[in-house]
Amino acid sequence: MPTAKGDAASGSGRFAAWLRRRIGLILVFVALFLLWEYAVKIFGIKEYLLPPPTRIWTEFLKRWPTVMAGAWITGQEIVGGYLLAVVVSIPLALAVVRWRFVEESLYPVIVFLQIIPKIAIAPLFIIWFGFGFGPKLLIVFLLCFFPIVVSSVAGFKSLDPDVMDFARTTGAGGLRLFLKIRLPQALPGIFTGLKVGAALAATAAVVAEFVASDRGLGYLLQQYNGQLETPMVFATIVLLSIMGLVVYYAVEWLERLVIPWHVSQRPNDVTGI
Amino acid sequence: MSSFLSAQRRPEGAGPGTGPAGDAIAGVPVLFDGVGQTFRTGGRVTRALERVDLEVEAGEFVAILGPSGCGKSTLMKIAAGLIAPSEGQVSIGGTVVRGPWTKLGVVFQSPVLLDWRNVLDNVLVQLELRGIDPAAYRDRAHALLRSVGLEGFADRMPRELSGGMRQRTAIVRGLIHDPPLLMMDEPFGALDALTREQMRIDLEKLWLSRRQTTLFITHGISEAVALADRVVVMTPRPGRIDRIIPIDLPRPRNKAVISSARFTATCDEITELFMKNGVIQY
Ligand SMILES: Nc1ncnc2c1ncn2[C@@H]1O[C@H](COP(=O)(O)OP(=O)(O)OP(=O)(O)O)[C@@H](O)[C@H]1O
Ligand SMILES: [Mg+2]
Repeated sequence: MPTAKGDAASGSGRFAAWLRRRIGLILVFVALFLLWEYAVKIFGIKEYLLPPPTRIWTEFLKRWPTVMAGAWITGQEIVGGYLLAVVVSIPLALAVVRWRFVEESLYPVIVFLQIIPKIAIAPLFIIWFGFGFGPKLLIVFLLCFFPIVVSSVAGFKSLDPDVMDFARTTGAGGLRLFLKIRLPQALPGIFTGLKVGAALAATAAVVAEFVASDRGLGYLLQQYNGQLETPMVFATIVLLSIMGLVVYYAVEWLERLVIPWHVSQRPNDVTGI
Repeated sequence: MSSFLSAQRRPEGAGPGTGPAGDAIAGVPVLFDGVGQTFRTGGRVTRALERVDLEVEAGEFVAILGPSGCGKSTLMKIAAGLIAPSEGQVSIGGTVVRGPWTKLGVVFQSPVLLDWRNVLDNVLVQLELRGIDPAAYRDRAHALLRSVGLEGFADRMPRELSGGMRQRTAIVRGLIHDPPLLMMDEPFGALDALTREQMRIDLEKLWLSRRQTTLFITHGISEAVALADRVVVMTPRPGRIDRIIPIDLPRPRNKAVISSARFTATCDEITELFMKNGVIQY
């Protein structure tokens, strides 16, 4: 990200710089909303088909307590399932690269299971674990788990042979080698997986709630849909997107914090706000 | 740029193979005994080295000179125990090398810095990986960095450096722990001619004061002659020792020595060897 060094010190200066950089994007958004708003009015499109943005907003303001309560539930599923995936995946990836027999026995099974469409087995979870919070957590976990394991394993394996040669001349081994050489080299790969997982978490939670639930944003979405309350459908979708974005950018922020040396080497990504 | 000498003081009793600060350390002899190397990758067979026999004395400075691809880097990695030779063996100080040899300092052909550490920490990692407290070496690291012209760059990240600066960081990393054996693979390869000359002078000073056994790989004829006690001239691949040329020019190899007729004659002699092998064609 091209940050101007000069005005980085002052907050308002930084905001002005950000505004200048993103002015095009902001204009596109504003134009899109205006187009949407007036197109709906001019062409007389029915509200249950496509409500104008202002209508979505006013409807949301009226009924936000219900929606926010749903968001609280869904948010817990997203964050809980994701964190569970993180704490299981990374140690598992470590075990795969550490012990050959794990790599040869367990890892192929994991890679094979990854092929199964996870969403298709969501109904099974209801049969097995019922309607509560647990099965939703598990579905989020399941969707996030695979990309994190696979990327982390790849990360731990992508060792620069020259760096390893240097490390070997020092005689370092065990924990010292791991912490000072192997882990830093693996972090970019691990974060790739963490970001893919983060992007999937919100989808997973909603799908889980679609399958069977009596609360949460996924449940509300189905209710609103059934009653043709299209403005609320839109409001819920926007809220879900925002929650997905927050999780994703939280991980990206962590990445910048933990491996700045890698992040700054990468070409600018388009999503970078 | 000051010399490596100013950076010579190092913490007492620390580091492998070191005596009290200032004393010449006991270099170790290195013996290559019929070393041969064949690489097999995906059905391709490359004969890289052919029967290399060489005795490097304790404290000797040996330059290994040969055309690109003749197996110099391979030879160094075999000596460092990073590659197991297909034939023969290397012994260091009477011990056969069977795995990575750690009582040494290595400078690889490419800098091989750690992207996640700044210049100073890239130097100090040499000690950290050896389980030595790096704090005691900070002054020495700064002095060495100053001597290679990296003063003020200690907190830069590798990506902020030029290729030559990265290589100089790698050189300091190879020297920081004051090893009794030094292996350098074209360490000045990425440097401009002026820096190269200064580094050559500084390396000789360092070696004169410490007398660590040094294997110095290069394809610069005058660089080899200017630095070494003996120049090992290799043939094109598969690399064999073509000839070993003792350089009995006085030290330090100052301006007068470098421009002497004997220096030029020695360089010419090596050039002719390469012409005979078809490495150089006019
Ligand atoms: N790991 C490897 N696998 C297969 N072949 C290799 C390997 N390492 C080196 N070689 C081959 O061995 C030969 C010698 O390589 P080496 O790197 O030792 O040459 P060099 O003398 O250091 O060359 P340069 O001066 O260009 O650095 C080359 O032909 C190279 O292709
Ligand atoms: Mg080489």
